Amino acid sequence: MYLEIKDLTVLYDRAMVLNGVSLTVGKGEFVSLVGPNGAGKTTLLRAIAGLVKWEKDTLKGTRAGRITLEGSVKFDGEEVTNLPAHEIVRRGLILCPERGRPFREMTVLDNLRAGAFGCKDKKVVKENLERVYHLFPRLKERENQISGTLSGGERFMLTIGRAMMSQPKLFMIDEPSVGLAPKVKEDLFARVKEIYEQGSTILMTEQDVSFAFDLAGRNYVISKGHLVGEGTAEDLLADESLRKTYLGL
Amino acid sequence: MVEAILINGLVLGGMYAILAVGFALVFGVAKILNMAHTAFYMVGAFLILIMTIMLGFPSLPSIVLAIAIMGITGSVIYKLFLDRVKEHPVAVMIISVGVAILFQEVLLIGFGGHFRGIDPFVRGFVEIAGIRATYQQVIAIATSLVALVAIRLLLSKTRVGNAIRAVAEDREIANVMGIDVSRMCVITMGISAVLATVAGAVVAPIFMVHPLMWMHPLTIVLAAVVLGGLGSIKGSILGAFILGFAETAVVFLVPMGAFLRGAVGLSVMVVVLLLRPEGLFGVVFEEERL
Repeated sequence: MYLEIKDLTVLYDRAMVLNGVSLTVGKGEFVSLVGPNGAGKTTLLRAIAGLVKWEKDTLKGTRAGRITLEGSVKFDGEEVTNLPAHEIVRRGLILCPERGRPFREMTVLDNLRAGAFGCKDKKVVKENLERVYHLFPRLKERENQISGTLSGGERFMLTIGRAMMSQPKLFMIDEPSVGLAPKVKEDLFARVKEIYEQGSTILMTEQDVSFAFDLAGRNYVISKGHLVGEGTAEDLLADESLRKTYLGL
Repeated sequence: MVEAILINGLVLGGMYAILAVGFALVFGVAKILNMAHTAFYMVGAFLILIMTIMLGFPSLPSIVLAIAIMGITGSVIYKLFLDRVKEHPVAVMIISVGVAILFQEVLLIGFGGHFRGIDPFVRGFVEIAGIRATYQQVIAIATSLVALVAIRLLLSKTRVGNAIRAVAEDREIANVMGIDVSRMCVITMGISAVLATVAGAVVAPIFMVHPLMWMHPLTIVLAAVVLGGLGSIKGSILGAFILGFAETAVVFLVPMGAFLRGAVGLSVMVVVLLLRPEGLFGVVFEEERL
């Protein structure tokens, strides 16, 4: 398996956010992770990307730093559990964070350049930039605009583009649709599909179950830090109790 | 009188600006208040003093060497003492003040409390539009401007500069870009110490060099950064020039004004904090609510 997570447990102080989560993503797969607010979706992606560990190390000795992190994350056959976040990025495991979080006081172009930090070959950076601009022509128009002034949809394009500049092998997208208008949402998911079809592996969390199930080949349902279901959209929808309790469909 | 205020204000403002930019940079990137910042400026000036006067080296290589030594010193001090406590602001303050006092005491032991001068690197004066300035003052002003432009280019044009700005804005997300946040803080601290040494090199021949010279600029730098808006580099440059001119004007215009220099910066800081706590350029980006 490309990405293999075993018994991942995360506690913030004494609040258990993830409780022994195990999941896998195969190469070339599109996997979605759905579940209600506060289920632990974001924390799971943050833990995989090494941000929970970073938070724990950085805040060591403060109240907010009492974080427990157990379990193992294997990517492409290599144990990455204890690697620092910036090293994990170098191996091609890229997170596009919740709400995008662009560097708001920097221009669109500078944001994209920040995404290309790990890539020292200027030619490759330029190629990637072309690719991003091809996918999101709007970003080229706004190249020199301060990114704090972008609209919600543009901001998400920017952060997807920024993550693409880091040359992802496995692309983790955290709740792309939050706060977007339905029309923008549709367009956005079309782009995500395009990126997938160009040959990426994607692990995406999403609250909008119908969109997620449309796109993904396999899905996990998470609630209160536990995985409660796994399978294709048909399998999950066939299970009446799961559908009613967790998916709200 | 007006010319004198203009020239001295520019020299002083330029020096404060370089110091304030370095201080603001470290605050913005590593999120620490480095109270030892102006101690780097002092040690830099002493290194130049040692090399030019005591060892008889030519001035330009001495300055370059001093800048290199201080750049490394700044990074090492950050790595050794500050990196591991940087989430504890009070510890950072105490440790960095401790480092500054350590430097001060070592210099007091080595050199005593004397005021020493460094010979001007270039003698003579020039008249521009009827205003008379010594070459050394012209060099000081020019160097300040070059240093400010250079740091701006470094931050906006280079890959590392871009990463430094990214860390300043969102440390956590910078991680996900593959940026080693801790390393960027070390680099920033080095840059900041380099800038402080440039300031030391610029003014050492104009002002006196002595082991307590770090204290006055520190209050001014804090005031300039508050005046400009914490974290804003543009603001801290403006704040530094305002304070430089205010100080010079007080020295020239007020009887016994030289004794009031220190009060100027602090008064400005208090007034600004009362009237506009976010400073001139301080912007508070309202965080999105979840």
